[in-house]
Amino acid sequence: MELRKISIRQAAEAVSCGDISAHQLIEETLKNCSVLNEGLNIFTHLAGIDALEQAKAVDRKIEKGERLPLAGLPVAVKDDICYGVLPTSFGSPAFKEFFSPYTATAVERLMDAGAIVIGKTNLDDMSLGSSTVTSPIGPTANPWDTERTAGSAGAAAVATGLCMLALESDSGGALRQGASHCGVIGLRPTTGRISRYGLNASSSSFGQIGITAISGENIISAMEVLSGFDSRDASTAICKEKPVGQDIVPETRELIIGYPAAAFDHLVPDLREVFEQARELYTELGFQFVDLELALLPEALQAYYVIALAESSSNHSRFDGVRFGAAEEAGDLEELYCESRGTILGREARRRSIFGTLLLSKGNYDLYYRQALKVWNLVRREFTDALTKCDLLMLPAVNKLPRLCSEEAGFPDHWSDDIFCAPVSLSGMPSLSLPAGQLGGLPVGMQLVGRPFSEEILAAACDRMVREIKLFPHGNS
Amino acid sequence: MSDAQQGLDKAIRVMKIKVALSEQEELDRELSVLLKWLEPMLTVDTAGTEQVLTSHDALNVVREDHARQGDLAELQEAAPDFAGGFYLVPPIIE
Repeated sequence: MELRKISIRQAAEAVSCGDISAHQLIEETLKNCSVLNEGLNIFTHLAGIDALEQAKAVDRKIEKGERLPLAGLPVAVKDDICYGVLPTSFGSPAFKEFFSPYTATAVERLMDAGAIVIGKTNLDDMSLGSSTVTSPIGPTANPWDTERTAGSAGAAAVATGLCMLALESDSGGALRQGASHCGVIGLRPTTGRISRYGLNASSSSFGQIGITAISGENIISAMEVLSGFDSRDASTAICKEKPVGQDIVPETRELIIGYPAAAFDHLVPDLREVFEQARELYTELGFQFVDLELALLPEALQAYYVIALAESSSNHSRFDGVRFGAAEEAGDLEELYCESRGTILGREARRRSIFGTLLLSKGNYDLYYRQALKVWNLVRREFTDALTKCDLLMLPAVNKLPRLCSEEAGFPDHWSDDIFCAPVSLSGMPSLSLPAGQLGGLPVGMQLVGRPFSEEILAAACDRMVREIKLFPHGNS
Repeated sequence: MSDAQQGLDKAIRVMKIKVALSEQEELDRELSVLLKWLEPMLTVDTAGTEQVLTSHDALNVVREDHARQGDLAELQEAAPDFAGGFYLVPPIIE
């Protein structure tokens, strides 16, 4: 079964009708995973026998007449999302053998709907980054150009047809930038729409579980299963009263898209031209554009990092080698903490923890942290105001093509990669990354940002844009 | 040692992270870059702006707090195990 060419509904129907068993599908998928993983370095762990056992269980349920919306479909889960059956490394060598005692709600919901977890996907050190270059097992290669990074391993898994869905985390934009680099669709939902229970987020305020797939339609199929209140995550939205799939799909021709032209000035001319051409094509399709201003993007990025650094320093405090993480040999308790934490936290995690502590210290707290919280408020207002003038906002997803795998994470250059994604994270609005064009044979993605809980509109607009301009994503491996 | 270096040194001690001397020197250089990088944010006019702590305005729904006389025996019965005035829980460290 060619997973890149059919929808989730079609694939689940094929398994439910017995055209192919879940076991056959997963067996075939795992074979492909073994081959492709050698070249691309997508997975930290492959499920193997566990996935086949899950598939058998799904086949038995189908035989009993149970209807499962994701029957037998392979999904990949980023390795900072807990899944009790496989190790959860958080991108740290200290946790490579760690088995979480519980499974994230989002993973449970996918499995309850019949999905099969085929493996855990690669990530940066403590999930701090959007390139995978700081991963302890090395970067994930891009299926379009293996000299370059995929940005996110889940996006690479979807682009190569190894899975129909990838469950990923997104704080400053890893999911959205990965989708852009691999030419697939990535949704960071409205904050609180998908439970974060079981996500090891370095930033409590911005870490959010999202979905990567091959189409907007598949994103919505997953949202029907994933979204909704979770009693184990008090920050999940309680307001949703109907399944997302029952919402009225809008007439996308009538949608008005806000175009903050000045934001595109942050791009090199070649890249800016890709988005200008995309805008022209969308106009021909009937989308209307209105010019508007998002003046605070660079400052929003800086505020994001001040807050994220502060939260990293707090959240990483628990990795002390006693309660969490392996303890190093030491003469006394103080030395044990210092040695263990120096090992558990990689270079990027150490940098963020130390700078975060510094920014929270006396003298810096008011100057940087409080100011960042106020800028956060202004950014929220700016996005809210902008979305009173239009239905959707168009922004780039990336400011450059994917980095070379051999390139080291420069400081603070690699933080600047988040300039278009981190401000959206501050706004809490849903954002969907979709292919807008190509440059030098590589896909370039843009973001559509919508009002809170408008994921269906984003997905419908996305499918129309991608289908009509013949840019439907694919990998070339 | 400059104020910034002293601050960095203290942050490393507070965070209890062993950092090699070469890395500490690198962090010192990076700190200067970071503070320069953050300067534009400091110039944003935030006068009269409230700070926020979440990206949405949702509030927890909480019930009213009423004091009442609890029944200790009832609580003990509900616990998986209770002995000698203590609730017994599984060990955290093996």
